[in-house]
Amino acid sequence: MTAHAHKLCMLGDFGVGKTSLVARFVHSTFSEKYLTTVGVKVDSKEVALPGRATMKLVVWDIAGRSQLDSLNMTYLRGASALLLVADGTRERSLHAALNLLMQSRTLLPDAVVALAVNKLDLVEQWEVAPAALEELRRTLPVHETSARSGAGVEAAFADIATRLAE
Amino acid sequence: MTPAFPSVPSRVSDYLCELFWQRVRALLLTFDAGWRLRDLRGDAIYYGVDGSQPEKSVQMLRDLFLGLSIDEPQDLPFVELANGTSAHLHLIPDRDAFHVLLLDAAAERDRQRATQQIGNEQALASQAKSKAIGQLKQIRTELERQHAKLEEAHALKNALIATLSHEFRTPLTSIFGYLQLADRRANDDASLHEALHAVRRNATYLFTLAENLLEYGRSDGAAPLLNPTPVDLEALAADLDAMFRPLAEEKGLDFRVNMKIDDAEQPVFDEIRLRQILVNLLSNAVRYTRHGEVAAEIVWRGEELSAVVSDTGIGIAAAHRDTVFTPFNRGGHAGRKGAGLGLSIVRRMVDQMHGTLVFESEVGRGSAFRVTLPRGRERAAPRADDAIAPRFWLQGRSILVADDDTDVAHLLEALLGDLGFRVRVVGDAQSAVVEAIAGRPDVLLIDVELSGLSGNAAVYKLRSRGYKGRIVTLSATATNEAREAALRAGADHYLTKPLNVEQFVHVMQQAASAGWDGGGDGGVIA
Repeated sequence: MTAHAHKLCMLGDFGVGKTSLVARFVHSTFSEKYLTTVGVKVDSKEVALPGRATMKLVVWDIAGRSQLDSLNMTYLRGASALLLVADGTRERSLHAALNLLMQSRTLLPDAVVALAVNKLDLVEQWEVAPAALEELRRTLPVHETSARSGAGVEAAFADIATRLAE
Repeated sequence: MTPAFPSVPSRVSDYLCELFWQRVRALLLTFDAGWRLRDLRGDAIYYGVDGSQPEKSVQMLRDLFLGLSIDEPQDLPFVELANGTSAHLHLIPDRDAFHVLLLDAAAERDRQRATQQIGNEQALASQAKSKAIGQLKQIRTELERQHAKLEEAHALKNALIATLSHEFRTPLTSIFGYLQLADRRANDDASLHEALHAVRRNATYLFTLAENLLEYGRSDGAAPLLNPTPVDLEALAADLDAMFRPLAEEKGLDFRVNMKIDDAEQPVFDEIRLRQILVNLLSNAVRYTRHGEVAAEIVWRGEELSAVVSDTGIGIAAAHRDTVFTPFNRGGHAGRKGAGLGLSIVRRMVDQMHGTLVFESEVGRGSAFRVTLPRGRERAAPRADDAIAPRFWLQGRSILVADDDTDVAHLLEALLGDLGFRVRVVGDAQSAVVEAIAGRPDVLLIDVELSGLSGNAAVYKLRSRGYKGRIVTLSATATNEAREAALRAGADHYLTKPLNVEQFVHVMQQAASAGWDGGGDGGVIA
């Protein structure tokens, strides 16, 4: 039986680790080398949910931007979920992620959304204060993740898959 | 439909089409409305499409158009495919079917990537540079703060030394008193007298050595921590007599301490220093005199105290006159017992008390040291509320310990158990997060250098979920940066290994007594 597929778009500023999160989630790999994404890279993974049918997440890793342009809007069409990504060591990237969320809402008002604050392995260098995430959690599911160590990555994608299945 | 090349001969048009087809490495797939492949033309292998088993590739293409209508033209530029190549994707509806056209975008993607990579890396470097400059500024502020803190610590050290000095003196004074009493009652028991004298000699040496080392422990640049109080000069003279007469008499020396008080005004001095000056001078005089006498003439007159300590000892050679006040220098007394600190300490104390110190000496004839000290100003009495606060009672308080080193975990468990805590131990950060939220301990004590999720990351996760309990982090890294990072992650206290037990107990008391902010469930979002 073919698993039901959902399109999930990764959104966030450049260098926050979107591609690394996808690599960790889909292939369980991590590369220290930063290679900027041009356009979009599409990957997919089947996710087993307890008590539910297996779901296929088609993950669109969209090139990093702090603002959505027409090209990004093209890629977003048809998405049912968004994983916003910020880099904990760059507070500015959190603002960018929230800005992208607001812009994407016009095109995808009903998309399931979560925020991944990445680079938890560098928590000693984080600019994003715990209180900021505590506040954000009131309106948005927030996950601290590390693509390098894998911490929180499965949980972030599983959270989205679970809510897509509801 | 408008022809692509209306004004050129068909042969040219065909040629151009062929050229374009080759250059863009086009792949055209035709599907019916149910995504069943009807036709495939072009360079399938280049795009990772297996023409003999196209099902998997078709699924990949379906995923790319997921959520999009196949009844409308679709244009998706720069899509990186599973085999790593990049394509511009077009979906072209055609009555009850549709075509998917893939055009090579790899070269253009690589060009754009190279440009973007440089731009992005420059932007990241610029952000890192700004951050580094900010950190440098912070470091400078921190250095200034540390400097102020060092000065404060220095003052505290001096206060501690003064207290220690006093604490040493109290029992030694008692020892001298009882030695004198025991000596009187020893009657004619010569061996007992001899033993008591040996004890006195060594106690005197210990006393002066301890006092001198403690005094030397202060740095030269330290502001003198004087404590001027009214001094009973008669009692001081009696103490000196009791301390040194037996030693002098044991060596067959004449010994006297004369005190003359010619001023009705009460003498005010830092008694500890005054006593130490006279003890050091008398100690040297007795130690380096084999025959003759040792005398101290002390006069209180005209708001000034003058003391002359003279002996008929070995004297100080002219060659050593300039170095006699240098620490650890015994001058002409080389090879003799002593740390070589006595005269340097006397010099420092006299300077601190704004007095003068001169000496005359002749080898083989003896020495005379003259000290003059102006009256000091009495200080206000300390306030009663300076007393140390009582310890908090920790019985029944709960603590969660997270440490993956079982030896350390057991040590912490024992220490905290002794303090009255109910202790629970976990071996990793993730368990600490779960247990802290579920169990709400009064204190969470967590090691920073845990394998896997770090202690700081766990603290951050707790705080970002609204956890309000007290958190103490424990680390083997004793740097300010590590401390700041832990506090920034949300810890309340930062302790370093190896444990300073006193500090550990103090911090645990502080943390346990602070309790939970906000009460209730602490607003934790699990």
